[in-house]
Amino acid sequence: MIVRRVGWLIVALIGATAWAVLALHRGETINAAWVVLAAVGTYLLAYRFYSRFLAERVLGLNDRRATPAERLTNGRDFVPTSRWVLFGHHFAAIAGAGPLVGPVLAAQFGYLPGTIWLVFGVVLGGAVQDFIILFGSMRRDGKSLGQMAKEETGPITGLLAMVAVLAIMVILLAVLALVVVNALKDSPWGVFTILCTIPIAVLMGFWMKVWRPGRTLEASAFGVAMLMVALVGGRYVAESPGLAPYFTYSGLTIAYGMIAYGFIASVLPVWMLLCPRDYLSTFMKIGTILLLAIGIVLVLPPLKLPAVTRFIDGTGPVFAGKLFPFAFITIACGAISGFHALVASGTTPKMLIRESDARLIGYGGMLMESFVAVMALCAAALLDPGIYFAINAPLTTLGGTVQSAAEVIRGWGFSVSPGQIDALAASVGEKTLLGRTGGAPSLAVGMAHIFSSAFGQGLMALWYHFAIMFEALFILTTVDTGTRVGRFMLQELAGQIWRPLGRTSWYPSIVLASALVVAGWGYFLVQGVLDPLGGINSLWPLFGISNQLLASVALCVGTTLIIKSGKARYAWVTLLPLAWLLAATLTAGWQKVFADDPRLGFLAHAASVAEQVAAGAVGATIGARLIFNDRLDAVVTITFMVITVLVLLSSAREWVLILTRRKPAQARESPFVETAYAG
Amino acid sequence: MLGRGTAGQRGSGAVFGRLASVIRRISGMPDYGAYLEHLRRFHPDRPVPTEGEFYAEFVRGRYEDGPTRCC
Repeated sequence: MIVRRVGWLIVALIGATAWAVLALHRGETINAAWVVLAAVGTYLLAYRFYSRFLAERVLGLNDRRATPAERLTNGRDFVPTSRWVLFGHHFAAIAGAGPLVGPVLAAQFGYLPGTIWLVFGVVLGGAVQDFIILFGSMRRDGKSLGQMAKEETGPITGLLAMVAVLAIMVILLAVLALVVVNALKDSPWGVFTILCTIPIAVLMGFWMKVWRPGRTLEASAFGVAMLMVALVGGRYVAESPGLAPYFTYSGLTIAYGMIAYGFIASVLPVWMLLCPRDYLSTFMKIGTILLLAIGIVLVLPPLKLPAVTRFIDGTGPVFAGKLFPFAFITIACGAISGFHALVASGTTPKMLIRESDARLIGYGGMLMESFVAVMALCAAALLDPGIYFAINAPLTTLGGTVQSAAEVIRGWGFSVSPGQIDALAASVGEKTLLGRTGGAPSLAVGMAHIFSSAFGQGLMALWYHFAIMFEALFILTTVDTGTRVGRFMLQELAGQIWRPLGRTSWYPSIVLASALVVAGWGYFLVQGVLDPLGGINSLWPLFGISNQLLASVALCVGTTLIIKSGKARYAWVTLLPLAWLLAATLTAGWQKVFADDPRLGFLAHAASVAEQVAAGAVGATIGARLIFNDRLDAVVTITFMVITVLVLLSSAREWVLILTRRKPAQARESPFVETAYAG
Repeated sequence: MLGRGTAGQRGSGAVFGRLASVIRRISGMPDYGAYLEHLRRFHPDRPVPTEGEFYAEFVRGRYEDGPTRCC
């Protein structure tokens, strides 16, 4: 007992020391070890004390109560699964590109703001959200977030939540696709490797369905091996003057290719393409994240980025806007991600073997994701700041040549020479890295640094393309599974208007719904590629705002669950993060629409384009398109804000009714059944 | 024997089978061994599908309910 207390005291002291070092350090560089120690120390304490408080006092997890996996067991989706295996399953489902890209973009503020938000945001917000939604779904036979919103708050709230999810999906898919386009344009190596994943997946699909039915592991081992061959082959293609032109494409061509791919993947049977790619990307994802963790611990790189940069004043080139609120929407996924509420109310609650496991899987799984985001931040912060901005600032700002770029970056107070930028591009096997916005290329450079220092010098180019392939592969998996889910949601909504459209296996309905979903995200993708500022500038904030507003919806549902179970005195555990999230996100949304600065506000930008057209500086057709897109972005942002406020109001009405005893505090949980498992 | 493995196996085959089952569950693949076990315990009267039939059935429903992968 006393030993344990001393142990936790030591953890607390180490964590506090690391935070103190981060706060007070005034040197040129700081070792990543301090960031890692501060984060891990805080996670351990939060898990031990706060998540226990949530589990025992707020939610009342009860191991005598049979879980859906036990009561409804069917050997397919309701399968009792031991906690660490399920932890892996849940983590593989929630970890994606978001926690990798967001922190890299937010590094324009320095490494400190991102670290603080990632660590404290997750322990007080993100992990609480995931835990409570997982708990709620577990108590309701694995119901989805939308169904819970409908049953606990009302049908209109349920419908609003569903529309919000569909809209968020469209923006999410567009921005993630744009990240891939920016990483692959004019890169024959990257394009070749990613193209190869399609035939590899199809071969795996036939293997598992036709040749050796059900042998998923065999087929996956073959797929991963072929992927490595494709990665090495990519170098040969890129260096061959005869082959390289066949794999060198502009951003626009790649964008149209991805749109076509998304449509095909949505209408084909899943076993042929989508499912095998999902397996392939899951293996790559888990493997690479483990490798990155080992690499960072082995190398413990010094971070060259300042703790805080001058760009907290809102003048940064990567995206516009001040530290508050934009750090808190740019980093969405690693700190708190509304999208997790959808996954936490999906497959995971149907596999929990006992209620108390929800603490490790819901709360602990999200801490793990936050740690991935912290690693991504370290990978970006170990670059020379000059190099970081050369890769992440838009080409129009940098002026197109390495000389002009070095000049512009020196003006910002960071030293970098044209030779340095060129040498780095050559060392990773690319013609140029200038203005490759979207976060993926700079993250890949950082990861390549870590991997080549830890596992073998001289392989920079191979590691860079390994990292690009890893990111592109699982982003494309999100794109194709997301398109398909969007298709089903659209069919369900359309079925309420005209019955036959709701038949998910009716071919005209499949084609129509798939085409509409693809057209939706495809439109935003193409406009992002054509955007003179690179697109990430406007699309990433839109995605961050939508994801955080979905988190607000999830926290509203969580609060309702807590109040309805008669624990209103503990409702602050969700109300506190909800208040912060709404303050940050609604402010950001308001500024994106109405700010006077044309770099920041959509409407001000539209006005400035109109002036440029009038002055003859911008062509009338291009001008009209830019103005239309600005207005569209403004409408989308306002729609998200309105939906969220409506969900908040309808939830608050429910809370007041219960607290004033005009409505009984009764949650619609499935009835209690005693577990048959031995204690 | 990659790809097989039921909970009832013995010896080194059992270790391998358990490992395969862990990898399958983490990556969201169907676990045929667990399904056979489930049928044997709860529905001994039902016909037993082949591994291929089970796989096809599992995969068909997997991407319909909601997002299985996050951003």
